[in-house]
Amino acid sequence: MGVLSDHVMEEIRALPPQFPEVRSAVMPALDLAQEEIGYLTPEAMSDVAAALNLDPGYVEGVATFYTLFHTEPTGKHRLYMCTNISCKLRGADDLLEHAMRSVGVHEQGEVSADGLFSVEAVECLGACEYAPMMRLDHAYHYDLTPEKVDELITARRNPSPPVPARQTKPRTPRRQKTDG
Amino acid sequence: MAELRGTTNGPVLTRWFGTDDLHRIDVYERLGGYVALRKAITTMTPDQIVQEIKDSGLRGRGGADFSTGVKWSLMPKESAVPMHLVVNADESEPGSAKDRYLMENSPHMLLEGVGIAAYAIRSHQAWIYIRGEYDLPFARLTAGIEEMRAKGYLGPKPFGADWELDIRIFRGHGAYICGEEGALLESLEGKRAQPRAWKPPYPAQKGAWGRPTTVNNVETISTVPFIIDRGAAEYAKFGTEKAKGTRMFTVSGHVQRPGNYEMEIGKTYRDLIEGLAGGALPGRTIKCWWPGGSSSPVMPGDLLDTTTDLDGIKNLANLKDHPAPPLNMGGRGFATMGGSGGVIVMDDTFCAVKAAHRLLQFYAHESCGKCTPCRVGGNWAVRAYDAILSGNGGPQEIKILERVQEGLQGGRCLCGLGDAAGWVIASSLTHYRNEYEEHALHNVCSAEKVGMAANA
Ligand SMILES: Cc1cc2nc3c(=O)[nH]c(=O)nc-3n(C[C@H](O)[C@H](O)[C@H](O)COP(=O)(O)O)c2cc1C
Ligand code: SF4
Ligand code: FES
Repeated sequence: MGVLSDHVMEEIRALPPQFPEVRSAVMPALDLAQEEIGYLTPEAMSDVAAALNLDPGYVEGVATFYTLFHTEPTGKHRLYMCTNISCKLRGADDLLEHAMRSVGVHEQGEVSADGLFSVEAVECLGACEYAPMMRLDHAYHYDLTPEKVDELITARRNPSPPVPARQTKPRTPRRQKTDG
Repeated sequence: MAELRGTTNGPVLTRWFGTDDLHRIDVYERLGGYVALRKAITTMTPDQIVQEIKDSGLRGRGGADFSTGVKWSLMPKESAVPMHLVVNADESEPGSAKDRYLMENSPHMLLEGVGIAAYAIRSHQAWIYIRGEYDLPFARLTAGIEEMRAKGYLGPKPFGADWELDIRIFRGHGAYICGEEGALLESLEGKRAQPRAWKPPYPAQKGAWGRPTTVNNVETISTVPFIIDRGAAEYAKFGTEKAKGTRMFTVSGHVQRPGNYEMEIGKTYRDLIEGLAGGALPGRTIKCWWPGGSSSPVMPGDLLDTTTDLDGIKNLANLKDHPAPPLNMGGRGFATMGGSGGVIVMDDTFCAVKAAHRLLQFYAHESCGKCTPCRVGGNWAVRAYDAILSGNGGPQEIKILERVQEGLQGGRCLCGLGDAAGWVIASSLTHYRNEYEEHALHNVCSAEKVGMAANA
């Protein structure tokens, strides 16, 4: 039994005609799968492979190559903090630590206990004139300070009106970290 | 949208920047947009356009500095299979943000250029490969394509001409190597992005999906409408004898006004960094700067008078007299390059060894793993830097760095990523060997002291 819903499978099957070759549909298909269930489980990848009539190993090979595909659970809101040189010169390292403390995680990739957040240090996001910066919920946030980071986090903890994020279905309990 | 940081009302690319809602087709057209595409399709032959672009002297702005007109002329004039224009909008070079600036603010300038370029190389289906993190530029381009379609500029008969045109967008998924054109094509074909061994057949014969393909950078293509509208001679009025036109620079790091600036080629980096970007922060001194993204060899602060007319990678005359002992830059003597135009400025409060360490982490992380020197060398270098900076290093770590940088350069790697990693080490060691020795031999960071004094 697959994990992707019928309508997502249908959308994936509709992708190949948009490309000269079916393989080009792999990444857009993985996007749809990740949008639906939050991250790419082996079952999700094999559903994608089945819908596109490709080898599951091939699909997994693609999924693991690109950093925007997640094969582990992530927070509902992902903070992608740029720590490359232009942001580092303007204090990105301290901000990264601050952000992790604020959402309550000890390491990158860990999901906060409320399931809301994960933080990742990433390479240059191409907005160096606004350093330090990050990407959060499909938008860039600029000229970051610890206060600005906290505001963004608080707004997502107490959404009023709700802050849009990825649509997620309920899923199995997330990986939890013990204190240590 | 965030406040615009960079040139508005500039000479070529940014000439309409600063106009409200420039991203909307009606605003763009009111200012004179789509005149060039109409002219190209209804009054010019593809060969005339290629000639015009050749005459303009335009060279690729993605880093390799190759003549755009010549590149287009390598495409076959007839082909049994479809041909493609692929726009490289993967912009991931540390320090570069100019393609984002162009796409976000003036998406129709790129789209108009895509139409002209596609027509010139006889392609009916153009693709824009855009990095996955670029949400706003993606949204703007998607909306722009819809606006074009609604006006009939895309579809079977743009401007009434019997010549079908379609533009499609493909989103990347986070991998620096996708900017390298072979890797980009692999990615577009739905594969892991690993560079292709470029020997014949070249992309003009067998590119995307095995079909004749031209890959061009966003800024390159965005320049095309100006050239077709005003003529090659108008464009060639800007620049120097050899390097024509204007180009975009992103200035970031330790300057007063970081931003994306359009400047005539041939002015100096001092004009850019101290003039347009306002120079060093109060009370600080510029220690070094990277002319074209982190992949271009770093330059010391006393060489700001270097011209922006950097002919690909070439030896800089004024560096010959520089007191720093030259390291072998892949047999070229000491050199730097204009690269992507991403100018990173660092002042005396930051440690040269720490900066190089961060960049090597980047190259090691982004190596696609295909060639041994790059896959292994990057990690070796990172470990050597780790040791030096944690006070556990010695002269042997500096030796390791020297060996690794040799191994990465001079054609031992399949693509430019390996060379770039080697240049980071080589150029940093050339100019800042004293800082390496302080760290490795005495566990001292003199930049940190300057930084503490500056913040006191
Ligand atoms: C590691 C690496 C990364 C690159 N990244 C980019 C990039 O992000 N954008 C780009 O336009 N060109 C990039 N290039 C250069 C492309 O391979 C190619 O030369 C360029 O897109 C051609 O366009 P142009 O002739 O208009 O400059 C990169 C090259 C290398 C070796
Ligand atoms: S030089 Fe590095 S990134 Fe380029 S092909 Fe070789 S391993 Fe891959
Ligand atoms: S280095 Fe952070 S956006 Fe470029």
